Amino acid sequence: MGTQVKDVVLKPDAPTTLLLDKHADYIAAYGSKKDDYEYTLSEYLRMSGIYWGLTVMDLMGQLHRMNRNEITAFIRSCQHECGGIGASIGHDPHLLYTLSAVQILSLYDDLNVIDVQKVVEYVKGLQQEDGSFAGDKWGEIDTRFSFCAVATLALLGKLDAINMGKAVEFVLSCMNFDGGFGCRPGSESHAGQIYCCTGFLSITGQLHQVSADLLGWWLCERQLPSGGLNGRPEKLPDVCYSWWVLASLKIIGRIHWIDKNKLRSFILACQDEETGGFADRPGDMVDPFHTLFGIAGLSLLGDEQIKAVNPVFCMPEDVLQKIGLHPELLS
Amino acid sequence: MAESEEEVDVLVQRVVKDINNAFKKNPNIDEIGLIPCPEARYNRSPIVLVENSLGVESWCVKFLLPYVHNKLLLYRQRKQWLDREALVDITCTLLLLNPDFTTAWNVRKELVQCGVLNPERDLYLGKLALTKFPKSPETWIHRRWVLQRVLRECCPQGGVRKGQSEAGGVADGEATPRAERLQRVLQEEMKVCSEAAGRYPSNYNAWSHRIWVLQNMAKGNLKVLHDELSSMKLWVSMHVSDHSGFHYRQFLLKALVGELSQALDWASTHLPRPTADPHRAHQANGEAAAANGNGNGTEDRQRPGVPKLFEEEMELCTDLIESYPGHETLWCHRRHVFFLWHHWRLELSQTAGRHSDESPGGSPLHSAGAGSGAGEGGAKSTQAMDVDGALGGGAGGGASSYTQDSKRLKRGPLQPRPPALHSEHSFIAKTLSACRSPEQGRFAAAYRKWLDSVIAS
Ligand SMILES: [Zn+2]
Repeated sequence: MGTQVKDVVLKPDAPTTLLLDKHADYIAAYGSKKDDYEYTLSEYLRMSGIYWGLTVMDLMGQLHRMNRNEITAFIRSCQHECGGIGASIGHDPHLLYTLSAVQILSLYDDLNVIDVQKVVEYVKGLQQEDGSFAGDKWGEIDTRFSFCAVATLALLGKLDAINMGKAVEFVLSCMNFDGGFGCRPGSESHAGQIYCCTGFLSITGQLHQVSADLLGWWLCERQLPSGGLNGRPEKLPDVCYSWWVLASLKIIGRIHWIDKNKLRSFILACQDEETGGFADRPGDMVDPFHTLFGIAGLSLLGDEQIKAVNPVFCMPEDVLQKIGLHPELLS
Repeated sequence: MAESEEEVDVLVQRVVKDINNAFKKNPNIDEIGLIPCPEARYNRSPIVLVENSLGVESWCVKFLLPYVHNKLLLYRQRKQWLDREALVDITCTLLLLNPDFTTAWNVRKELVQCGVLNPERDLYLGKLALTKFPKSPETWIHRRWVLQRVLRECCPQGGVRKGQSEAGGVADGEATPRAERLQRVLQEEMKVCSEAAGRYPSNYNAWSHRIWVLQNMAKGNLKVLHDELSSMKLWVSMHVSDHSGFHYRQFLLKALVGELSQALDWASTHLPRPTADPHRAHQANGEAAAANGNGNGTEDRQRPGVPKLFEEEMELCTDLIESYPGHETLWCHRRHVFFLWHHWRLELSQTAGRHSDESPGGSPLHSAGAGSGAGEGGAKSTQAMDVDGALGGGAGGGASSYTQDSKRLKRGPLQPRPPALHSEHSFIAKTLSACRSPEQGRFAAAYRKWLDSVIAS
């Protein structure tokens, strides 16, 4: 049994330049085929889908091409009595989609579309005795939801609504021996969860509690010979994990520990030259999710055709500047 | 085929009924799947039951999914009324096609709450969905909710917290119907996790669920921990790239060491003088566990103590690294096992030093987080990280370690030979000198660098 390194090989004819116009056209057209079977399949996460699409358009300076009135009216009709927001009309409220909605309205600087005070009450009500957050009233616990809670409240300027000490304590209890974080105490380190936890600690001003060198080491080990990053050992490289690892490295001040040029080539190779958009890996089907994380990753790598992205909120820096939000980053 | 709205309506209602009839006809269906079939065949149901597998012909899905999807959403917005039976049928069809539709699972939670749906029957639907979508996060999340409910039903007096210890006590032999039910559900859950882990490599959701199950349904149950550790041995040996499976093993090891150390702590106040010598500690383990009433005393005596556990784990790891060179997962495992061992020994010496009955307190992981790698940050962080250790050269290794190793060998086979820093360095040296795979060399060098900067500093 020989060793097969789990990685991809970039083809010589893979794209090497950024096809911005194609990507903008791809996202602008995406929402128009609403009868699509795929569209039904993904309705359970529609609110996040809209956030991905709008954020990537804003990063490319194309936000004006999206239908603002339709979107804000949609968000209003997704807020429930309890204050929480669902993924789409008729879907139950959840912290994940509450954050996405608040992010979208922050892009549009139009938070009063929803009942903000009720959102704050909703988030506050999901905090548990041990400081953790449930995703919704049914009680699932995950460090992702800790991030959603503080990111939502930070965008609303209401971080003081929750028990911060306890919230921090819970997230730190999910730290592992490799410096990484998992979804709950004792769970395996995972790049997506690490992004949520370092983002959480950044928003709450607690990054000094991270072992930056140890975690940076683990994150750097995610880079494969192709230049792409994976989310855990022996997984394939992926554009979305490239973002989560890269953003985490940026947050803990260790982004220079990876080979940026190789990562850039990998991300560019994941573009579809015909349809526009990015896929998880070269040659796969594109989607808005990987398109956002491809563009955001290139922005963190310093591409000047794209607006600067904030690594914690995955939103344009200028939007956060306007709100006056400056989440902590280690240097 | 069916194109007009009414035709679709009739067709879909028939298919939903066919699916639920199939479950009534064969309660042992254990797999679902999509049958590629672009065209409808005249007068034949698109629902096919072959032995214990339920198949849906692909042509009907594009009618079926939007229909049940919209119906449920209309119900959720109180625009259309559905009776409870219809809700059970519709959510079943919907979730087999799209198991991440959170709201549909929530409707089923409400049906469980009002007693319409039996929790085990609901768990069965999730199990089937996982045969086709083994990662589905919402399916795993829903299972945890149902399991918590079963737990409360089985141990009503104290809620989940109290229930943990009672579930742990199931093995003690008190076979009440409640305890038996809990035992059955626990065993079934482990099977569901194994199956999903087999269907998708490094299945984070399946393995973190399995950890949750142990933490919530078998807390402190030494027998379950030991059984899991031994049954996982074969599994990890056959899945040497599965980082999540190995992490689960690390979790088991840590939990076992924690339980055994607690017993040891107890022993330190009740048995003669505590000791920092791991071999003495090994002997004390058995007595403490037995005295502590953790399961069956004689059985515990036969179970390995902490040093033996670590020795066996390192042996397994060495064996796998040599048989399957170049697997990052195996080297990560080695790091974690060595780390656990290192900290267990540190805490043991601290406890012995204190001569007090307070437990080793706090997570060893935190002290590692604060202490180790972080200290030397400043200088290193200004340049690219030398992950491979190619620049560092690394300390130790070489001839002196071999000598110590052979001394250790002379102690004979009866005493445990737990890991040690020098034996790790000689393992690395041996691997590097015999190495034909460039990856293996890279991982060995990175491990040496890790030992030097995280353990030795
Ligand atoms: Zn991805």
